[in-house]
Amino acid sequence: MKRRSIIAGVAGASAAVAAGLYRFTDIFVKHYPPTPYDDLLVQLVDRQQAAALGAKVARPDAPSLAAELRRDLKPDSLGATTEADVAAGRLMEVDGWLLPRTIALLSALASKV
Amino acid sequence: MTALIDARTLADRTTLDTDLVIIGGGPAGISLALSLAGSKLKVLLLESGGVNFDPAIQKMYSGAEAGVRYAPLDAGRLRQLGGGTNHWGGYCRPMDAIDFETRDWVPHSGWPISKRALEPYFPRAQALVEAGPWIYDQKGDAENAGAGSVLPLNGGGLYTSWFQFSKMRGDVLPTQFGNRYQEDLKRAPNITPLLHANVTAIRLGTNGKQVERLDVATLTGKHFTVTPRFVVLACGGVENVRLLLASNDVMKNGIGNQNDLVGRFFADNPIPRDVATLVSFAGPLAPFYGANQKLPDGAIMRATFATTAKFCRTAKVAGSLSTIEQPVDLDETGKAAVITTAIALGVDASNARTYSLGCGMELMPDPDRRLTLAGQKDALGLPRLKLEMRIADEDFARFRRTLVELGRQLLASKAGMLRINCHKREDWLKNMDWGHHHLGTTRMSADPKQGVVDGDGLVHGMGNLYIAGSSVFPSYSASNPTLNLVALTLRLGDHLKKVMA
Ligand SMILES: Cc1cc2nc3c(=O)[nH]c(=O)nc-3n(C[C@H](O)[C@H](O)[C@H](O)COP(=O)(O)OP(=O)(O)OC[C@H]3O[C@@H](n4cnc5c(N)ncnc54)[C@H](O)[C@@H]3O)c2cc1C
Repeated sequence: MKRRSIIAGVAGASAAVAAGLYRFTDIFVKHYPPTPYDDLLVQLVDRQQAAALGAKVARPDAPSLAAELRRDLKPDSLGATTEADVAAGRLMEVDGWLLPRTIALLSALASKV
Repeated sequence: MTALIDARTLADRTTLDTDLVIIGGGPAGISLALSLAGSKLKVLLLESGGVNFDPAIQKMYSGAEAGVRYAPLDAGRLRQLGGGTNHWGGYCRPMDAIDFETRDWVPHSGWPISKRALEPYFPRAQALVEAGPWIYDQKGDAENAGAGSVLPLNGGGLYTSWFQFSKMRGDVLPTQFGNRYQEDLKRAPNITPLLHANVTAIRLGTNGKQVERLDVATLTGKHFTVTPRFVVLACGGVENVRLLLASNDVMKNGIGNQNDLVGRFFADNPIPRDVATLVSFAGPLAPFYGANQKLPDGAIMRATFATTAKFCRTAKVAGSLSTIEQPVDLDETGKAAVITTAIALGVDASNARTYSLGCGMELMPDPDRRLTLAGQKDALGLPRLKLEMRIADEDFARFRRTLVELGRQLLASKAGMLRINCHKREDWLKNMDWGHHHLGTTRMSADPKQGVVDGDGLVHGMGNLYIAGSSVFPSYSASNPTLNLVALTLRLGDHLKKVMA
C-alpha cells in the first residue's frame, strides 16, 4: 500500500471514530480470516463497513465480482481508480447512494466473504 | 390624486369610458398601471377584491381538480388587491437564456422573444419586487460578505446559483403589491383603481376582432359597463382562462381559442421534497444553503444548485433548482457509504454533515394538462373551472439525471456525496409541494396556430386585447415567475405607450 493511501486510510478511519460512527476497536484490532480475494479486499481500510454497504448491492457471486475487479483494480490503486470512475461517470446506485463503481463492487465482494 | 374607489358605491348601470382597462390588480396589473403612471393614457384598474381578504370574494376562485393531487383552485391564489403577493414566498430569480430557447428535447418549448428582450426591464422589476441590488449569480457576493463558502462542484452540470428575496419595511417580508403600491396608484392622476369590480364578460364587436366593452359586477348586485380602447387581462394564469373561455357569445369557443389552446399547457413548478440526501464531507454547509442570508448591502440571498445550459443540452434535461432543506441523520447503510467512500477518496469526513435536498422543477409542456369550464357557476354566474393535473414519469426521469450529475460532481470535487431518495413515481409524489405558479395557459407564440398571444402579449386575431402574467409563458423555467412576469409586463407597458399614442 502506498504511504499516501495509508495516511488517507488512517485519517478516514480516525475521522469516522471522531464522528462516533463506530468503535475504535472495530478499526484497529480487526482481523479477518483469509479469503481467496484478499488481494482485492486488502485495499479496503474498513472491510466491515464496506460489507454493510455491499450487502445492498444486487450482484450475484463473489468469483464474478472478483474477476471484474481484478481486471480494473490494480494493487494499491483504490484511490486512483475511484477518482477515474468518478471522472468517467462510472457510478452505481446502491440503496440510492451514488457510488464510484469500484467502491460498489469491492464493497459487494466484502459482503460475500 | 385619485383614491381607491369602491365599485359598490358607483351608480348601477354606469358606463365608464377609458383608454386602457387593466383587469386584475395583482403584481402584473399593478406593475402595468405603475408603468403607465403619468402618461397621457387614462387607465382604469379593475380589481375584484378589496384591500383586505374577504372569503365571499375568494369563493369565486373555487373550482374542481382531477388527476395528480394539486392545491384546490381557491387555495393557490388570492382574490384581493395585490393578488398572489399577499401570500407569496418572495423568491426571485431571473429566468435563464436557455429557458426562452426552442429546446428540441423539450416538446412545445421556445418563446418568440429571447431573454435579451426582457433584460432592460429587470432592474425596474427588481425594484418593484424590492429584492435589493441585482447580484444574482455574481459569484462571491455572499462569500465576500463573510457568509461562508460556496460548495466546490468542480465544473460539471450544476453550479451554485442564487435566489434573491423580496423584502423590506421592517419585518414585513415579502412585498405585498397591494399594500405597498396603493399610495402610488392613488397618486397617479391618470390611474383610477376600482376595487370590488368583477369583470364577468369581455364583449367583442360582431367581427370578433375588437373588444367593445366589459361587463362588470359587484357582489352587492351592481352592474356597470366599461368601454375601453385597449384591454389588458391580468387576472393570473388560471382566471385569465376562465374569462376568455366564458366570454363566448361571439367567438363560440371563447376568445383567442380558435385553435383550442386557451387553458391547455397549464403548468406549475413541482417542488418534491426530500428527493435526495446530500453529504458534505467537510462539515456544515455555509448558512446561505439552508436559509435566507441577509447581506450588508441589503440583499437577502439563498443558494440553490442550478443546471448549466450546456448540461441541459447534453443530458437533455429540463431546468431545476435544487435546494438544501434541513439536516438529517444517516442510517447504518448511509454511514457505511460515507465511511467507505471518504476513505477511498482520501478525505477526512469526521465532521461530515447530512442534509435533505428539495427541488423546484420545470415541467415539460403538456397540452392535456389543462383548464376547462365546468358546469357549476359562481356567485356572479361565471362557470367555474376544472383542472386536469398531470405530471409525466419523464419529468422525474429527467430530474433524476440532474441528481446523478450533482452526485458525480460532489464526488469529483471530494466535497461530498449524494443519495437519491426517490425511485418510483409514488416516491416523487409522496412529498410533493407546488409553487402555485400558474403558467402556460395562454401561451405566447409568433404562430397563431401554436399560441394564444404574440410576442407582445396581443391575443392573436384581436386588435385591442392583451394578456399579462405568467399564463403567457410557453415554456416555464425552474425560476419563480413573479420577477419575470413583472419584467415582461413592464415591456408590455412600453409597447402600449407606443401603440396607443
Ligand atoms: C403560497 C404561494 C407562494 C408563492 N411564492 C412565490 C415566490 O416565492 N416567488 C414567485 O415568484 N412567485 C410566488 N408565487 C406566485 C405569485 O403569487 C404569482 O406568480 C403572482 O401573484 C402572479 O401575479 P398576477 O398578477 O399575474 O396574478 P395574481 O397575483 O393572481 O393577481 C390576479 C388579480 O386579478 C384579480 N382578479 C381575478 N379575477 C378577476 C376578475 N374577474 N375581475 C377583476 N379582477 C380579477 C384578483 O383578485 C387578483 O388580484 C406564490 C404563490 C403562492 C400561492
